Amino acid sequence: MCDKERLVSYLYDDLGDAERVMFETHLRECAECRDELSALRGVRADLISWSPPQPDFGFRVVREPKVLPFQPRSWRAWLTPAAGLAAAAVLVLAAAAAIAHVEIRRGPGGVTVRTGWSAFAPGSGGSEGGMTPQSQVRQASAPAVSNAIDPAALAALERRINVLEASAHDASGVRNASMLSARSSDAEILRRVRELLAQSETKQQGQLALRVAQVLRDVEAQRVADLSRIQQGMRGIEASVSAEAQGHRELTNYILASSKQK
Amino acid sequence: MASTDEELVARSQGGDLDSFNQLVVRWERPIYALAYRTIGREEDARDVCQETFLRAFRALKGFKGQAKFSSWLYRITLNLCRDWIRRERRQPIAQAPEGVDLVELASEQTPTETIEDLVARKEISQAVARIMAELPEEQRTAILLKEYHGLTFQEIADMLDCPLSTVKTRLYQGLHVLRRQLGREGVGRNHV
Repeated sequence: MCDKERLVSYLYDDLGDAERVMFETHLRECAECRDELSALRGVRADLISWSPPQPDFGFRVVREPKVLPFQPRSWRAWLTPAAGLAAAAVLVLAAAAAIAHVEIRRGPGGVTVRTGWSAFAPGSGGSEGGMTPQSQVRQASAPAVSNAIDPAALAALERRINVLEASAHDASGVRNASMLSARSSDAEILRRVRELLAQSETKQQGQLALRVAQVLRDVEAQRVADLSRIQQGMRGIEASVSAEAQGHRELTNYILASSKQK
Repeated sequence: MASTDEELVARSQGGDLDSFNQLVVRWERPIYALAYRTIGREEDARDVCQETFLRAFRALKGFKGQAKFSSWLYRITLNLCRDWIRRERRQPIAQAPEGVDLVELASEQTPTETIEDLVARKEISQAVARIMAELPEEQRTAILLKEYHGLTFQEIADMLDCPLSTVKTRLYQGLHVLRRQLGREGVGRNHV
């Protein structure tokens, strides 16, 4: 029985000089070991062909910001840069909301966030009844100006078109094929406009939610960092106040002692 | 000149994250390759790779340099792979497509290789992956560490906590099974 461990060592060039010479002498005499060595070299060559995929690695270790436990402080502690920053952030959010005309509604279908200026929004001052159908269509087809259309307004528009068509029909007394096709094409345009508006609204809601989340995350990170700085500062102040108080105490004791002596 | 692993480890232990990330860049491919060849799933191998570095980072203070940093990483990887296999309660998977996509293959073709050679190489690769997945864990690990990561027999023995002769025996047995199975499937250099 030949020494397989030695065969493996020879296969991986892991024998010392003397051992290698001895094993090569053995190889010249042993056909079985020669064949096996040759076959195992072939297997090693086959193993090379098995390569793993090459994924894109983006993994890096980053340090987490330290989150210190919350410690209640007196109201003076809140008159700090952190409070100022938080107030500024709230102001920025409020200004952004005002500019974007953010409208949040709670309805049976859940909470709706709407942005943009809409002539049809309740309380916006637009007189729905006073508008002609033409002006309504013009506004609805300008999403840059108005990207939120009240479904009630659209329904009113549709009703108005129907009334106009009906009156035209009464006047002529004839319902011809061209009227029918015009009506169906109007309905199609309305449907399309409604779809486009719905898409635009959904997209804007998503973007707004994303931006609000980003701002909130930034504010939170800044708040944590500022709190950490404040706590460090307070510790420093406490230390210096304590040292000062100690000095005062010593001075008072000294004055008392010298007045007693007198 | 690039820093050695030992220098980067020392700086990382002093709190230098950049140095640790240099170690990550240097070793992520070998660690991923070991995980992939051990468990056979790309996504899970990525997870194991990331977890290896996270564990290494957390345990870095305790690394005293008795072994090479790479050996230490390999050991963590193998432990995680073992946990994965135990958790999934299954053998590693040979993730190889059934058919051979010639268009995909052409992109892997080396300048001197004919398409016939390329198809043969792919077949061998798939057969090797399949047979390796069926090997006992200790034989597979010995082959992986020796063949693909170039560890010495002594390093493997230290890593697996077993005698040198055991490592050689496991390696021999694994290679022997591969030879026999490749022969049965009629693929490989021994059957050209």
